[in-house]
Amino acid sequence: MKQILLITDGCSNVGLSPVVAAAHAQSEGISVNVVGVLDHGDVGELGAAEIDEIARAGGGLSRMVNMRQLSQTVQMMTRKTVVQTIQLAVQKELKQVLGNASIEALPPEKRSDVVRVIDELGETSRLQVALLIDASASMKPKLAAVEDAIHDLMLSLQARQGKSEISVFHFPGSRHGDDCILDLDWTSHLNGVHAIFPKLQMGGTTPTGPAIMHIVDFYRKGDYGRQSRDETDGMMSDYVV
Amino acid sequence: MTTSFKVDLRRGMMVTGKWKQGRYRVERLLGEGANGKVYLVQRDRSWYAMKLGIDALDLQSEVNVLQSIAKQKQHGQESYLFDVDDLYGPDGREYPFYVMRYVLGSKTDDFLKRQGAEWFPLVGLNLLGKLAKLHQAGWVFGDLKVENVLVADYGHVELVDYGGVTAVGKSIRQFTEIYDRGYWNGGSRSADPQYDLFSFAVLCIQLHEPKRLQHLTVELLPQNRSVGELMQIVENSPALKPVAGWLQRAFAGQFADAGDASAAWRSLMHRRDTHRSSSTPFWLKGLAAASAVLLGISVYWLLRNLM
Repeated sequence: MKQILLITDGCSNVGLSPVVAAAHAQSEGISVNVVGVLDHGDVGELGAAEIDEIARAGGGLSRMVNMRQLSQTVQMMTRKTVVQTIQLAVQKELKQVLGNASIEALPPEKRSDVVRVIDELGETSRLQVALLIDASASMKPKLAAVEDAIHDLMLSLQARQGKSEISVFHFPGSRHGDDCILDLDWTSHLNGVHAIFPKLQMGGTTPTGPAIMHIVDFYRKGDYGRQSRDETDGMMSDYVV
Repeated sequence: MTTSFKVDLRRGMMVTGKWKQGRYRVERLLGEGANGKVYLVQRDRSWYAMKLGIDALDLQSEVNVLQSIAKQKQHGQESYLFDVDDLYGPDGREYPFYVMRYVLGSKTDDFLKRQGAEWFPLVGLNLLGKLAKLHQAGWVFGDLKVENVLVADYGHVELVDYGGVTAVGKSIRQFTEIYDRGYWNGGSRSADPQYDLFSFAVLCIQLHEPKRLQHLTVELLPQNRSVGELMQIVENSPALKPVAGWLQRAFAGQFADAGDASAAWRSLMHRRDTHRSSSTPFWLKGLAAASAVLLGISVYWLLRNLM
């Protein structure tokens, strides 16, 4: 299972629409979750609408939180999206077998068996989460909270039985026109990682869309090298295309 | 998460299960959890608690846990789960629900406030007993906190909200930050009996020193949260001092399971300092001293007048 988790505090303002980019990700089998971090006021109506829209297009969840709720929200969202992804895949299977569109339409006894399978897969299937952090100027005071949330997420993922990895990106890149920069390649532990974000030069633009596309590409390239299927991935790959 | 829970059952409303046609009369809202609302309902003159979920899968997963626990229970024990079904809400949408035994009780902190802190050791022991049974069956409660422990008369304890219950070895399904071992950098979020005992120890602090605990969560940077900081509160609290050794062991994960932990807790209960006889209030001491002085003066005055 592949996820992108975008943490931002406002509107994108350059390049491809992030909604289009998120839809791209979704068509590649990557779910996009979005957390809008509020500080004192609000992300603004426009920002809130965009955040909601990106998650919708990306088949994920969106939520507005203040910095104190960030860790809890990030780990909950990731967990929920895992279940949702499997649920969708199982739903598809059910449709073929029973001609039945939803798990909710099953009587509680049958539902119980299906949910048991979903829970098991949610715990054991392989999971990758690429975190995409908006590091534009207004996010600067919030980056410490973001780092804590990343460490906290890693802790939750480590408790899973399936292989779990995260990678971290931030955007905008430096002046050379990079859309986003890889801070941390796929890893399943953060031992010894104290500062995920090096001294960041806060840029003025917010190329959310291009940054999402960059990660879709990163996933795609990674998959070339990983054609030999992991043993932990076995069950899911039958379900998720 | 994007959808908020809007369904609202009102008092006196009759609801009927879609599959099994069980009819319930809604009395009132009992509480709201992470993934649903719990109502007090009546069926055939008996009271039950009905948990109404937002998400069918989420609730079913909780029901599965309850059913497996019920299967493991010995005969003769009252069953916790009574009915599982769907209902049509006032908005016309379908909502999943399950019906469980209704436990008349109050939240741990309210109970201790009303009945007195001297009930604490017994309530703690009973709670450990409940956890021990879960652990024996291969489960971890997960989301242990003040709100999820109901205390009835004479310190009887019931765990509510099984949304966090996790099979040993898997990742904890639902937790609350301040009770979480990972939050305090005290270990993993994998389900093991020690996870519950860690939360139990935090719960003890929450019951006696809620303000200091709250203060810690605000003051400390995440990387500085530690068991040491928690133990500092314990050492400075007269109410917790007697159980400090026990709490330290719980934080360090040194008990094999809740059964082991409860044996250690029980041996503490028979020590005199655990049940601190409420020491004489300061004003009473003052009053006694004042009356002694007055007595002295009056005796002196009497003697002087007699002579």
